[in-house]
Amino acid sequence: MGVTDAQGSSSEPLWRAIAVFRFASVGYAALRLAAIDRAEYSRPDWAWAVIAVMAAWTVVTTIGYARPERRTRGLLGADLAVTVGLLLSTQVLQYPDATVRGALPVTATWMAGPVLAWAVRYGRRAGTIAALIVTCCDFAVQRGAALGAALNGAVLLLLTGVIVGHLARLAAEVEAERQRAIEVEAASRERERLARDIHDSVLQVLALVQRRGAEAGGAAAELGRLAGQQETALRALVGDGWAGDQAPDASGDVDFRQMVLPARTHRVTVSVPAQAVLVKPAAAAELTAAMRAALDNVRQHCGEQTRAWVLVEDEPGVVRVTIRDDGAGIPEGRLAEAAASGRLGISHSISGRLRDLGGSAAISSVPGEGTEVELCLPRVAGIPVASAPGTA
Amino acid sequence: MSENAPIRVMVVDDHPMWRDAVARDLTEAGYDVVATAADGAQALRVAGAARPDVVVLDLQLPDMSGVEVTRGLHATHSAVRVLVLSASGEQQDVLDAVKAGAVGYLLKSAARPEFLDAVRRTADGDAVFTPGLAALVLGEFRRLSAVPAGPGSDAPQLSQREIEVLRMVATGMSYKQIAARLVLSHRTVQNHVQNTLGKLQLHNRVELVRYALEHGLAGESGAGESA
Repeated sequence: MGVTDAQGSSSEPLWRAIAVFRFASVGYAALRLAAIDRAEYSRPDWAWAVIAVMAAWTVVTTIGYARPERRTRGLLGADLAVTVGLLLSTQVLQYPDATVRGALPVTATWMAGPVLAWAVRYGRRAGTIAALIVTCCDFAVQRGAALGAALNGAVLLLLTGVIVGHLARLAAEVEAERQRAIEVEAASRERERLARDIHDSVLQVLALVQRRGAEAGGAAAELGRLAGQQETALRALVGDGWAGDQAPDASGDVDFRQMVLPARTHRVTVSVPAQAVLVKPAAAAELTAAMRAALDNVRQHCGEQTRAWVLVEDEPGVVRVTIRDDGAGIPEGRLAEAAASGRLGISHSISGRLRDLGGSAAISSVPGEGTEVELCLPRVAGIPVASAPGTA
Repeated sequence: MSENAPIRVMVVDDHPMWRDAVARDLTEAGYDVVATAADGAQALRVAGAARPDVVVLDLQLPDMSGVEVTRGLHATHSAVRVLVLSASGEQQDVLDAVKAGAVGYLLKSAARPEFLDAVRRTADGDAVFTPGLAALVLGEFRRLSAVPAGPGSDAPQLSQREIEVLRMVATGMSYKQIAARLVLSHRTVQNHVQNTLGKLQLHNRVELVRYALEHGLAGESGAGESA
């Protein structure tokens, strides 16, 4: 601990408080000398000179500590040295037995100044060390007399060092926290602004290029296709992904839509309900993986140009994901045949995942009319799921 | 719709490049682009005089939501049909606009023939159902039926056949494919789709009126959102 400290703006009020404390303490020390402890001084003139030095040093440190860059080890060290020096001067100014009669050192409460400064600048440990140094000098001045009162002062000083140091650190942490929050907010606002800009211009142009390119044909069609891909990618980046920013809600569920929508490409259409589809994170990940596996399968077996549609339905108790393609379809019996001959492939990776979640996967195909994979994930594991109407 | 007179279309989009491209496509294909507008207020101002058959409406306008524009258009010019042309990722906005009376929804990246066909079908009074819209409508009916029934609640229900048809539309099947699969006529499939939209819009109007009565707003128009 120590050096990374409280240099943020959060410590500024503390420095001002230290300045106020020191001025008040100089006043108190002068009052003690003038009215209360006057008779205890063998050299009152020199004692007044010490008070004058205290006042001058208070002005110097107040100006010095006013700016963060001037709160150097040098100044803080000098502060401690000057204070200790003035404290020790008591020995030659007062009658030897003055403390027995309850007189305070000439610096009185003013000696706590550097302890506070060290604690605020360098934290708890430095505050404790400064307090110990000042306390030792105080004991030397007391010369063993009036030990009880001196001990009381020492404990107060030590506690001050520890607590103010702790307080300064807390303030610094709160300040850092606040700074981070401000940064996050600024970043998200900037992202929102960028998203709006991109939406208003770049996406529109990309969509236009895609459309015109497709019509022009030839090389332009390729450009249009690329523009379309970029449009989809950009849109996923600025449009959907952060609407709910994949943060789990209070129940720990995630919006499954945000995990499926990125699967959208120029040949894959993803359709979802308007409301969030809340699913447990682990189940959502598995369901997404199963959907990806089904889409990969379409690409591998039916070619890059095959179109595919993904439909997400949120029914009471069940989340249903349907993946359909317009490829050649799977000849009857091929799947069973593949499984029987040990080539598990699609049925394994998809059905297996769903079975583990307590759900089911149904694969149906009409040769020439494409394949349909239906994934059902029950909300509560173990509840059997009936096939939806419209499943072939 | 008269077979001879060209279909009158108004294009509402705040992006000039898009607006011009869409208007040009429509003009080249023989449609009569009677007006264009860059924002909702302008669209509502112009629509009364221009009397378009079809309004091609971008959902993201600088001044008004798609719902407000759709509702406003119907108020000024009740025969108008609204075709929503939107970027993706605006599911709730699209659904709200459809409930407010829009009869079709097309992605902005749709190819030109698909777009021109959608405008023609909208003018003919057919609902233009993309897979995305079908999923939204399915989801909305499920949401409505899941809401606990309140006093006098009349959440609309889809018939099994309607659910079946919508699921097929949502997984990319054409009306023709659906008709063949279910052994129905093309027209019947179209009617089923149309009915789902009609039920949703009727329910929305009933809800709006109920909301207005409950809150003492009867007589005022555009009495808020009850989605």
